[in-house]
Amino acid sequence: MDHPQAGQAAPRVLLRQVSKRFGSTAALQQVSLAGAAGSIHAVTGENGAGKSTLMKLLAGVHAPDEGEIFIDGVAVRLASPAAARRLGVSTVFQELTVLPNLSVAENLCLGREPLSARMLDRGAMRRQAEAVLARAGISLAPHRACRELSIGEQQMLEIAKGLAAEARIFIFDEPTAPLNRAEVDRLERLLLALKAQGKLIFYISHRLEEIFRFCDTVSVLKDGQHVCTQASAALNPDRLVSLMVGRELQQLFPPRAAERPGAALLHARGLQVGEARAGQDLTLRAGEIVGMAGLEGQGQRELLRALAGLARPRAGSIELIDELGRAHAVQHRHGAAQAVRQGVALMPEDRKAEGLYLDLPIQDNIWLGRLRGTRLWQRARRDPALITRLAERMQMRSAPALAVGALSGGNQQKVMLGRWLASGVRVLLVEQPTRGVDVGAKAEIYGLLRQFVAEGGTVLAVSGDLPELIGLCDRILVLRQGAIVGTMAGAAASEEGLLALALQERPAQAGIPSSQVQEA
Amino acid sequence: MSTTIRSGLSRYTLGLPLLLVLGLLASNADFRQPQNLLNFGGQIAALLIAALGQLFVTLLGGIDLSVGAVMSLSSCLLAVQPDPLWGVLFALGLGLAVGLLNGVGVALAGVHPLVMTLSTATFLQGLAHVVLPIPGGRIAPALTHAASGTWLGLPHSLLWCGAAVAGVAWLLNRSRLGLHFYAVGGQARSAYLNGVNARALVVLAYMACSLLAAVAGIYLTGRVAAGDPALGSAFALESVAAVALGGVQLTGGAGSVTGVVAGALSLGLLTNGLNLFGVSPFMRAVLTGCLLLAAVSVQRRRIVGM
Repeated sequence: MDHPQAGQAAPRVLLRQVSKRFGSTAALQQVSLAGAAGSIHAVTGENGAGKSTLMKLLAGVHAPDEGEIFIDGVAVRLASPAAARRLGVSTVFQELTVLPNLSVAENLCLGREPLSARMLDRGAMRRQAEAVLARAGISLAPHRACRELSIGEQQMLEIAKGLAAEARIFIFDEPTAPLNRAEVDRLERLLLALKAQGKLIFYISHRLEEIFRFCDTVSVLKDGQHVCTQASAALNPDRLVSLMVGRELQQLFPPRAAERPGAALLHARGLQVGEARAGQDLTLRAGEIVGMAGLEGQGQRELLRALAGLARPRAGSIELIDELGRAHAVQHRHGAAQAVRQGVALMPEDRKAEGLYLDLPIQDNIWLGRLRGTRLWQRARRDPALITRLAERMQMRSAPALAVGALSGGNQQKVMLGRWLASGVRVLLVEQPTRGVDVGAKAEIYGLLRQFVAEGGTVLAVSGDLPELIGLCDRILVLRQGAIVGTMAGAAASEEGLLALALQERPAQAGIPSSQVQEA
Repeated sequence: MSTTIRSGLSRYTLGLPLLLVLGLLASNADFRQPQNLLNFGGQIAALLIAALGQLFVTLLGGIDLSVGAVMSLSSCLLAVQPDPLWGVLFALGLGLAVGLLNGVGVALAGVHPLVMTLSTATFLQGLAHVVLPIPGGRIAPALTHAASGTWLGLPHSLLWCGAAVAGVAWLLNRSRLGLHFYAVGGQARSAYLNGVNARALVVLAYMACSLLAAVAGIYLTGRVAAGDPALGSAFALESVAAVALGGVQLTGGAGSVTGVVAGALSLGLLTNGLNLFGVSPFMRAVLTGCLLLAAVSVQRRRIVGM
């Protein structure tokens, strides 16, 4: 046994001088971090700062190349997630680990199944699941198959799973990204209860409001190094952002367009999608960023995807106007390929599954956009100069030959955006422009979108993050049950106003707005 | 219920054998003869046992093409080994060793299952011909009895099937190992993050598969009462066909013992029925191929995943 801090009580967790490399990149360099019992300890920093890697050392997913980990003063070796769990570390990972072919109860008990007479005790499993779900205030039937759950429900299940473990140390890696405000509030109460029981909670988040609301201590990482650890009461949001970014962030959102929007680039007439009862008209003009707000699942996604040629609308027509002012009808049977050829591109919410070729290098991911409209047998030209220009414009420092799968969320988002910027499309449809992206990269992405429309393009963005829509967009459409029920100018919009529109006539659903917690 | 979703069962999976039985009962008087039913039980037992082994591997999204070669080599070992007890032990030991090799190759060395098991299959098939160049050898009467005798009027083949089905069903449905099989098959990385030892499970799956292949080989050798280096040649693909007909999702995570029984029954009934009608075995292969394609096309192919 090794007592690193003789004389005083050892912290619950001490990571001492830990380093971790992946290939040639140093993810963590000599990071030391101590967490005390009875504390909610925020770990924050930009994407790629090493927060998740640091927590994965403690969760037993990665082993440190150097350095030591102590739990209650005892040096431990965490060889696997199962080993970490045996030592009292329970982790809610950033990636969802809910297994689709298992039931809610089976997922909750996986890895610590109750047995009776060496057989699975399904009755006990169900009772345990019911107890955990009740404690966490989640209404999910234990027998439900998890493939039917929404992302938000899966995330709540992940949280319940983390809580279900008899643990001394809890790690929550960005648990709130897909959650709505009511769910975040519930999580907050659960965390405070754990804290009162003397547990240590490491809480990774980009959301400053959450950090200041319920975390007592904040550790900031930058570029794999520990910047500082302070009581959150001693910090303010501006100071914390500058610690994360390493510079003072001037402005999150770029200024709105000064001129009135130009010519129409896309007309949708009588477009009927999802559960909508009536067709919707929509026009996107050059030079404007249009947002779509509303409660979750009110047809925003369906409408966007119909415009992208991915989903066939039940009725209505879509018309694109080319550079020479000629109108082209969109034929839905030709799908997304035609939409891209005609200059309409989609940036999907799930960038890993739908947006990027994770195994291909950055440069190929971008060049593929340039092949838009070329013939299949035409030579695929490589253009290293383009990559250099884009990397400079987007402030990307990664090597162009690096596989996209190895990048942080913010950089992946930039690669996806870079592809369409380079491809010459004119209409960009964006789902959740900055989900899981850190503050610094957010400002850059907003700036790039603004630049795109300033050069004659148009952007339609769906986001659950109302402050983002308000700060970014020139005009915000509010959808309810597939219908556009209102439009607000971005400069005049407020969260309250948008919510009121989104909720109108639906008092039963009030209190669960899809908006996410305000940031920065 | 979630268990029915990941069982991979559909009305087609269960309806096909039922339809075949009804059709044969109605159209062919010979089918109902006790002698034929006895034959039928004997015919499908080996396929069923091998397919149950294949189920473990396919549940994890793998495939084992060495099933047939393990059966053949088991048969040759039994034929050249005078003591049947040692013969059986050698065969079972062979199964475990081959499974360990396949499993380690796939799980630790990262070799693709097709390549890994094709290599061992080729190696073992060659070895079988070295051990016993032509069919023959002496099979102990005890073994023949164990495969073809009857007990209280029940053919032993039924007991072999019953034991294999009960064992595998218990493991998959009632043990925590079974739940872990479905978890790793659903999404290996998630299962690992939840504290399941995914790699060890892959090794176990290949070992279970090869072990059951060895058992199928022992049974079939007793039944034909001779060693045969080509005994299992059809079984690698037939076991995959039975598993696919039974609604097991070959990308992993969904499948059930009931489905495999239904799949093996369908293939067996088809063989038996076409035999009774005097259709040539070549035509039978043509029909089996068509049936497999038809059956798999009406199944939902992605049960796991969102």
